[in-house]
Amino acid sequence: MPEMKETQPAAFLKFSAQKSYEGFTLDCSGEFERGITAVFGPSGSGKTTLLDCVSGMLSPDEGEIEVDGAVVFSSSAGINAPSEKRRFGYVFQHGALFPHMSVRQNVEYGYKLIPRSERQFEPDYLADLLAINYLMDRGVMNLSGGERQRVALARALASSPRLLLLDEPLASLDAAHRASILTHLKSVSERLGVPMVFVSHSLSEALALAPKMYALDGGKRVAYGDTLEVMAHPVVARVADYGTLENILSARVLEPDREDGAPRLAVGDAVLVGPPTESGPGESVSISIRSGDIILSLGVPPLTSARNAVPAVVREVRETEGRALVYLDMGETIVAEVTLGSARQLDLKRGRDVHLVIKTNSILTFSMDRG
Amino acid sequence: MLFETILLTLRVAVVATLLNLPLALGLGWLVVKKRVRGAFALDVLASLPLAVPPVVVGYALLLLLGRRGPLGSLVERYLGLEIAFTWVAAVLAAAIVSFPLVARAVMTAMEEVDERLERSARILGAGTVRVALTITLPLAYRGILAGVLLGFIRALSEFGATIIVAGNIPGQTQTVPLAIYDSIQLGRGEETRALVLVALALALATLAVHNWLLRRSRERSA
Repeated sequence: MPEMKETQPAAFLKFSAQKSYEGFTLDCSGEFERGITAVFGPSGSGKTTLLDCVSGMLSPDEGEIEVDGAVVFSSSAGINAPSEKRRFGYVFQHGALFPHMSVRQNVEYGYKLIPRSERQFEPDYLADLLAINYLMDRGVMNLSGGERQRVALARALASSPRLLLLDEPLASLDAAHRASILTHLKSVSERLGVPMVFVSHSLSEALALAPKMYALDGGKRVAYGDTLEVMAHPVVARVADYGTLENILSARVLEPDREDGAPRLAVGDAVLVGPPTESGPGESVSISIRSGDIILSLGVPPLTSARNAVPAVVREVRETEGRALVYLDMGETIVAEVTLGSARQLDLKRGRDVHLVIKTNSILTFSMDRG
Repeated sequence: MLFETILLTLRVAVVATLLNLPLALGLGWLVVKKRVRGAFALDVLASLPLAVPPVVVGYALLLLLGRRGPLGSLVERYLGLEIAFTWVAAVLAAAIVSFPLVARAVMTAMEEVDERLERSARILGAGTVRVALTITLPLAYRGILAGVLLGFIRALSEFGATIIVAGNIPGQTQTVPLAIYDSIQLGRGEETRALVLVALALALATLAVHNWLLRRSRERSA
């Protein structure tokens, strides 16, 4: 596994941590860049323990943690900054909103605790960005899962964190809310530039969100590097179910098809015919296509019942555990999963021109922030 | 006389409860939130008065506070005061016997506060005291108050420990339960009935508030 040694940008988060805790031992190290890094691993692999060590909720038995050049923990130097002094943001799976406060009070909790001069993001700006303005004066008890996570995200960001830690923030959401939060996380990262560590046991989420991935297993680092690389790592392949891997992409709704009125979606350079959607032309949506639902064809396929046959170029083929992951470029990267046999028969390799055959029903569309 | 007895009973129970509350909060914090070494032993020790006969608590207090007891002799030498057989002894007896009820309720209330909320607050920049004041206590206060009321009821009806260490002196240490005991012994049926009615009224009123609080706090956490 290449570890990105050449011309590596300055590490933002450096850590080495050993921690024995409730019969489990975490022993790993890493250097993450700015931007979004996914921490992937099966349950019980130590993802949350690692996050707890970084946030200061747990103290490693031994190790060192450095964020943006500042040491927050060092067993050798006897440094252990308390959580409240580390200036991180943290988002839990269920949001962990304060039930006795309104949405606004939640968002302003951390905001009010930092000196005026160090406040980076105004609560109202964050409310706009995360589409929670209409919730600000409500209580938090009757929010939907997606609303809860958007409020939790706004609350964490309002404290002007140096680093945002996300512990399975999408795990309790349905597909539509998950797609919407993924889009929000992406725009937060792009617009606010807050580095994120995103813990997940879902490859689909990591693929959609994080250019870099750190894989953990049994408390030990398995791989770190480009997500597309790490995704195909043999240890990851052992626990991953590539058949259920989803491509979650942003799309724009176009004018519907003139002949049959079917919605058309612009994704990267491609235009796909999708299933009926509530969103009108011009609106942004998220779409999800399972890797296993994509058929690859050499040359233009003959007429089939599938409505979509879009051209793409093979970027990479990763063979793993009897399956092949094919990374394709259609203006956006999309991953198809085929059997090793098919990959060999079609002689799939870098640079090959193919067509992606996708049934309309294999495309799920999610409107933004409905509920 | 009846009025004085009721007043004394209330005073003893109120002071005992006020003594217990900060102690129970401190213990709860150590055992539930800090999970200090020895938390298990502390928990057991705090519940002990619930398990032994109150008479034993009274006897232990008498040994401690009596004129020749380690504490009693010190207080007498330096302050010139006597504790045993005064209302202060009644307060201590009531406090110790009711402490387990307050402590257990406080610990349960604190446990019911989702730890992730406290963690969130800390990571958002709140120190220990701020977390306690803005998250733990506001979310646990109904349960804490219910525990305080339960302890108060127990203190109101304390008998066994009190009679040993505070005696049964009308106007000084004779609370309602002790007065009932006296009136029964002396065969004053009318007085007994009046006192029993008072005891019942106090208990019912406190219990009603207690149960109402508990129900409200469950509705909230549901």
